[in-house]
Amino acid sequence: MTHWIEKQRYIIDFTLSSLLRRKVKNFGLLALYTLIVFILASTMFFTYAIKKEAALILNGAPEIVVQKIVAGRHDLFPLAYVETIKNIRGVASVESRLWGYYYDSLVSANYTLLTPPGNDAAKPSAKTTVVENDSGGEAVKPLFELNGAKLEPGTLIIGNGIARLRAIGKDDYMPFRAFDGKVLNFRIAGVLSSQSELVSSDLMLITGEDFRKLFGIDNSHVTDLTVVVNNPSEVAMVASKIKKHLPDARPIIRDEILRTYDSIFNWRGGMMIVIFSAAVLAFVIFAWDKASGLSAGERREIGILKAVGWETSDVIQMKFWEGAMISLTAFFTGVILAYIHVFFTGSIVFEPALKGWSSLYPNFELTPFVNLEQLTTLFFLTVVPYTVATIVPIWRAATIDPDSAMRFTGE
Amino acid sequence: MIELMNVRKVFNAGNPSEFSALNSVNLHIAENQVTVLKGPSGSGKTTLLSIVGCMSRPSAGRVNLQGREITSLPERFLTDIRRKTFGFIFQQPNLIKGISVLENVMLPAYPLGEKRSQLKIKAMKGLSELNIANKAASKVEWLSGGEAQRASIVRALINDPHIIIADEPTAHLDSKLSYRFMEIIEKFKAEGKTVIITSHDPLVYESSMVDRVVNLRDGQIER
Ligand SMILES: Nc1ncnc2c1ncn2[C@@H]1O[C@H](COP(=O)(O)OP(=O)(O)OP(=O)(O)O)[C@@H](O)[C@H]1O
Ligand SMILES: [Mg+2]
Repeated sequence: MTHWIEKQRYIIDFTLSSLLRRKVKNFGLLALYTLIVFILASTMFFTYAIKKEAALILNGAPEIVVQKIVAGRHDLFPLAYVETIKNIRGVASVESRLWGYYYDSLVSANYTLLTPPGNDAAKPSAKTTVVENDSGGEAVKPLFELNGAKLEPGTLIIGNGIARLRAIGKDDYMPFRAFDGKVLNFRIAGVLSSQSELVSSDLMLITGEDFRKLFGIDNSHVTDLTVVVNNPSEVAMVASKIKKHLPDARPIIRDEILRTYDSIFNWRGGMMIVIFSAAVLAFVIFAWDKASGLSAGERREIGILKAVGWETSDVIQMKFWEGAMISLTAFFTGVILAYIHVFFTGSIVFEPALKGWSSLYPNFELTPFVNLEQLTTLFFLTVVPYTVATIVPIWRAATIDPDSAMRFTGE
Repeated sequence: MIELMNVRKVFNAGNPSEFSALNSVNLHIAENQVTVLKGPSGSGKTTLLSIVGCMSRPSAGRVNLQGREITSLPERFLTDIRRKTFGFIFQQPNLIKGISVLENVMLPAYPLGEKRSQLKIKAMKGLSELNIANKAASKVEWLSGGEAQRASIVRALINDPHIIIADEPTAHLDSKLSYRFMEIIEKFKAEGKTVIITSHDPLVYESSMVDRVVNLRDGQIER
């Protein structure tokens, strides 16, 4: 046993000095390898974290949203329906919502305008729930935060993305062209905190009164309703009852919203998948190149080692240590760099690629989220194939006869 | 001690380039003697040496080493025998570049897993016996031809082999160093080792310490 350990020590020592002998080559190899691991790990961390973020935010989304449908399209919702829904058994409360989009031709960006709960004068139930939503024990990020700024008629609270894009801030004025062509000037009452920028970047909070003025919506209509159900297991049942009582209403349950959002985030992550697969491809080519190459110098050395009494298995062990050392170093360096990149520098390397997606690119400060599964996946994608790839050519080296050492001529 | 019976070696069998390097060679090499294999270039000296030293297998025939049939042994056992029984001195020093002389010399002992401190003492002793202890830490590419040759001799002896095999050891040495080499051979003999050398250098085969000269021609032993 002690012999075996001593032998491994010798082999590792020799491997180390072998690696140092080809400093330039191995350093280049290590750098390339680290880069690939870095890209793979960055994309993986990014996509996972963004999904996690989205899930956290959406957990706080309403259980049921009810829309009115006209000719298959989303239409304004008559407030008269509210009472009907409230009377359905199992419904705890009903909230009306006002929201929509405004296209700003100046910066060619779409803003999402939203009236926060309790800010619509026309609302039948003046229930003033806080924005913070406490569902379950899980930490749920609020959809937006008012940051202490007070929203009153004639003012707006805007998302960070808009503030950056328009280079405006608190107490600046922002002109809007209303549905009838009139120009409305709003004062910025505050900027949303950057906590949940993923969702709030393009968000604009506006009072119900102003919203109706801007889009020409009368007091008897809202955009849609949110319904809170007493018993979560009754969500589907309540939804079908709504559908029965109000045939032109469309109840959408949260799971469906989650799925929709999921596909949006997946799409955003799609960019990442492209980068990811490119990196995997690069890695495969790189590993293959490594696998097929055994330089004349290496062959010669293996011949000498075998001639002086090394077994094929000793040579394979040496190559195994070589592959393991390079790949583990690259793996840990790459993963640590990627962690810093994604969670501390806001994916600075990917930013240009992601920015093309929207002019309102959120400045992510993703919550560090890495699990064992990600690391294992990465490990099996990089370290394992590489180590195998370094051993493979050695099987061919096994065919190098030890007596070839007797026939080497010249140095 | 070593017995070859009807040994044949055919290269590239079945190809148009098929070449028979050894033809029914029968040879007995006695213990504690210096045997020289002599013959023109291409006569099969190196081929014969590699078969004797368990580096390659004959295409036909049998090889007995210390009464044991070795031709049919699996590679692992051959390697083990090679490592423990033979010390090889090649025509070229065949040292591994980029690592120190000391490491090169210790290389054959690595798979045995001996304690490093003991191994180092042994290696240093070997190096000082051949007057190159002062080069232990040097890289091999800095050595002169003769120093490299001596380093490779120390390497051949590190596992304390019974049989020393040297292929054209003096081919790259001047006559002074060649004499020096023969003195080393004499020492081996005095230590009870068996030595097999190939050479076409008269300085070697005419030397007084050589017990037997075997002439090879076209893969056959001349009588
Ligand atoms: N792997 C091989 N494949 C084909 N032919 C080979 C191979 N190895 C050796 N030979 C041939 O076998 C013959 C004997 O070679 P060997 O090296 O034993 O000669 P040698 O007596 O040592 O010659 P020298 O004195 O030049 O070293 C040569 O003609 C050589 O070309
Ligand atoms: Mg030869």
